Amino acid sequence: MGRIIVITSGKGGVGKTTTTANLGMALTRMGRTVALMDADFGLRNLDLLLGLENRVVYTALEVLAGDCRLEQALVRDKRQPGLALLPAAQNRNKDAITPEQMQQLAELLTEKFDYVLIDCPAGIESGFKNAIAPAQEALLVTTPEIAAVRDADRVVGLLEAHGIRKIALIVNRIRPQMVQANNMMSVADVQEILAIPLAGLVPDDERVIISTNRGEPLVLESNLSLPGIAFSNIARRLEGEKVPLLDLDAPYNTLIGRLRRFFNR
Amino acid sequence: MTCLLVQPGAAGLDLTLPPELDWSHLQDLLQQYFQLSEAWWLPQAPVRVVCGARILDGEHWQWLSGLLQKQKLIITTVQTEARATAVAAAMAGYSVEQGIMPPPTASATLPALYLDQAVRAGVEIRHPGTVVLVGDVNPGGCLVADGDILVWGRLRGVAHAGAQGDSRRLIMALEMAATQLRIGELVARTPPSTAFYPEVACVQGDAIVLYPARDFGRTTPGGVF
Repeated sequence: MGRIIVITSGKGGVGKTTTTANLGMALTRMGRTVALMDADFGLRNLDLLLGLENRVVYTALEVLAGDCRLEQALVRDKRQPGLALLPAAQNRNKDAITPEQMQQLAELLTEKFDYVLIDCPAGIESGFKNAIAPAQEALLVTTPEIAAVRDADRVVGLLEAHGIRKIALIVNRIRPQMVQANNMMSVADVQEILAIPLAGLVPDDERVIISTNRGEPLVLESNLSLPGIAFSNIARRLEGEKVPLLDLDAPYNTLIGRLRRFFNR
Repeated sequence: MTCLLVQPGAAGLDLTLPPELDWSHLQDLLQQYFQLSEAWWLPQAPVRVVCGARILDGEHWQWLSGLLQKQKLIITTVQTEARATAVAAAMAGYSVEQGIMPPPTASATLPALYLDQAVRAGVEIRHPGTVVLVGDVNPGGCLVADGDILVWGRLRGVAHAGAQGDSRRLIMALEMAATQLRIGELVARTPPSTAFYPEVACVQGDAIVLYPARDFGRTTPGGVF
């Protein structure tokens, strides 16, 4: 039986889908089989980020209606054969599916895959409830912003109320330079409020935007960029490896930088 | 004010379902309540569910009894003003009291509510007695007690002690960085501060004042402790 992990955040636009796509790819590169479930019915994006949009024929709804077999709806990635996407329906809304049906689909997928990653929609309404219903664990994505952290805190409470106890934090889009200048919340600030274990840090980087626009997840590059390394490290930690956190401050931690911070204090 | 969720009743516990919440919101609230609070009731305690005018059908009752069973609580009685609810409750095998909802009784002598988990954003805990929390109240979280509030951790959300208007109540925290403090009818913000030490908030005259915990017994006449 595979692990069912929901990737969630509360606030929109913090990088849930990007994280799902990259973690899925990174895990398959490590030899695992991964199914990605898009739970964002009506606003699906995961297929775009994976560059699989033009290969979607059936969606989760057709599987549930019995119009096709699960195997037919799964879009296999040609670059990484261990990766499959179960697309959400685009022409319907969040109420097109129930938590029980999500559970049913996820259970079918765990029989064949080592990991089932569920990309959760923003918000805490029915779409969120559908996405977390089958999950045994959660990865909480947040950015170092006060609104994102507040929403993430709310989501931790809701996840715990639904019996999901294994929650790990991904702090996305960190700008070390701004943290150094005291203009951005640090990872320690975020963790102090959320008080859940850290799964990884991802620096803010324009290459993330480029890769999402191209539909080629960062972890596919042969020469990994810093955010690419960050995502594969998170995947390795999911596998139970002990990987030290990236030192994002390194380029800014020069003698001059330290002196400047000392005098600006 | 939202009605109190769980309090000791005539025979066992009274579970009051706040009338202004819709069912899914209520589900969240109940789940959170039982998740956060340690069982202060006796196992297998009989529960009277006070529904007011809310309509609950068989499915609702099934969910509710399942939730309470996990807490070792048994629904025995249902109090309702709605005929449909009475019928569904009787079908589920509960004894039914029909009529207008009695006003909730509240006093600070009720057993304290012990919580041992962070109160996170969006969570609101209400209790008719004193609340003791081992953990933090995060920004966006809220504690409302008719008695005192003791936070063995950081208080960064909203705390309201003496919610029924009793201004002799206290709020104590290891780190007082509350968004807002309320005691009785008064409201105050905590001063911006960087050094934190245990503090006690109480009412003096017509204002809420903060004392360092170590001085509190000495500075207040008669010492409340």
